[in-house]
Amino acid sequence: MITSVKKQITSGLLILGLAWCGMAQVFAQDDLLQMLNEEQAKETNYTLATFKASRLINGQTIETISKKHLNFWISHRFGAVNSGFIANFFGLDEARIRLGLEYGLTDQWLVGAGRSSLDKTYDLYTKYKVLRQSNKFPVTVTGLAGWAINTMETGYVMQSGSEMRFNSNVERYSYWGQVLIARKVNENLSLQLMPTIIHVNKVEDPSISNDLMALGIGGRYKLTKRFTLSGEYYHAFSEPDAFRASTGKAYPYHDAISVGVDIETGGHVFQLHFTNSRGMIENQFIGQTVGQWQKADIFYGFNIARTFSFEKGAKHKDK
Amino acid sequence: MKIILTIAAFLFFLQVEEVAGQVLYSTSTGEVSFYSDAPLETIEAANKKTGSIINATSKELAMQMKITDFIFPNKLMQEHFNENYLESEKYPTASFKGKIKEQIDLTKAGTYPVTAEGSLTIHGVTKPVAVKGNIISTGNDLKLDFKFQVKPEEYKIEVPSLVVTKIAETIDVTGKMTLVKK
Repeated sequence: MITSVKKQITSGLLILGLAWCGMAQVFAQDDLLQMLNEEQAKETNYTLATFKASRLINGQTIETISKKHLNFWISHRFGAVNSGFIANFFGLDEARIRLGLEYGLTDQWLVGAGRSSLDKTYDLYTKYKVLRQSNKFPVTVTGLAGWAINTMETGYVMQSGSEMRFNSNVERYSYWGQVLIARKVNENLSLQLMPTIIHVNKVEDPSISNDLMALGIGGRYKLTKRFTLSGEYYHAFSEPDAFRASTGKAYPYHDAISVGVDIETGGHVFQLHFTNSRGMIENQFIGQTVGQWQKADIFYGFNIARTFSFEKGAKHKDK
Repeated sequence: MKIILTIAAFLFFLQVEEVAGQVLYSTSTGEVSFYSDAPLETIEAANKKTGSIINATSKELAMQMKITDFIFPNKLMQEHFNENYLESEKYPTASFKGKIKEQIDLTKAGTYPVTAEGSLTIHGVTKPVAVKGNIISTGNDLKLDFKFQVKPEEYKIEVPSLVVTKIAETIDVTGKMTLVKK
């Protein structure tokens, strides 16, 4: 009896000993990689490339460009698709053009300038990435502020048909501020919200407020590594009824809706799209979009971005 | 009976001894670079946050780095590297796990040419490799450097025909790091 108890204890001890031996083995091998994993898991992992470019279609994205990098933007909006084949080759006979440059002062802060042939307008803007999406924070938040000057002759006829008279240069200015909030939901899908305020110094009719609030929503879906679908919608909180009461005419401006694709080839991003807006700067496409989708009064357009790096070491690499 | 007990106890203490006797060297700031020399373009990038551990007792070695920590002079290239080639969202890390073949005592000062045999994981693909390098030990730290080559194709990294002239078929990978005794 006693012997058998002793035997049991002994074999129990032996098993314990062997188990410990096994555990030690496990500890020794399994796993140096595990230890590295645990260490690296503590770090913040920032989300990369929520969007392919600093512009979605007409509007901006939360993306800024890297320090010492320069973007050259060439954008075209052709004539209205419904303007006829013989008369205007479905709009391709003519185009509104914007040429723009963007420069990264830091990885989070860029400045940009551009010139649009629509209303002969120059624009300046700056964009700063305030918060970044990471494994610890759900969204990226970027602030945008811009200014534009309309250099058309006084008394010119606007897209809406109204005549615009400027009494001083200050009346030619517009300003806008925007908070861009985006989340890369997964590898393919990114969504963005764009609350916006626009101030125009001179409006065409007193019934139109100088300040315009708007809310934009946009997104992209990556179909393949280099091919992306994108869309953008801006709702302007304008007062069409006040305009109709004051002038007896229908309010000429509509919400801007754009859909397109992004094609990426090495150093270029090509954005091809259809939009009911011909303007390519915020006060124009959010506040003064004249086209209407239901009338096929839309414009085919493209943006091409070319990035140059002025970072040390990037030069002379192209053979 | 007593003999069995003694053996059990002996095994027990032996293991304790061995566990306590593990000599680990590690770093989280190792540098691993790669160099691609193709007809049209030379591409270089460095990762200065490579984690590495060497167990001098068992001579096992592990190394791991985040793909997003590779820094390129051209940030657009860096984005493409992550988005289009290495797909860092799907496969966030590259790692090596292996064992030093030579019978050496790394806790003793000296210079040791070494060969580590093990498996290399890049882009979710694991391949057996043997990497040659040198370890200079002072006893308290190990200076490690190594060099090897990888073929992107073997790790299922797609290079579109449009850019084959810009990305080399074989890419040189070099590393240097100082691991400190834990």
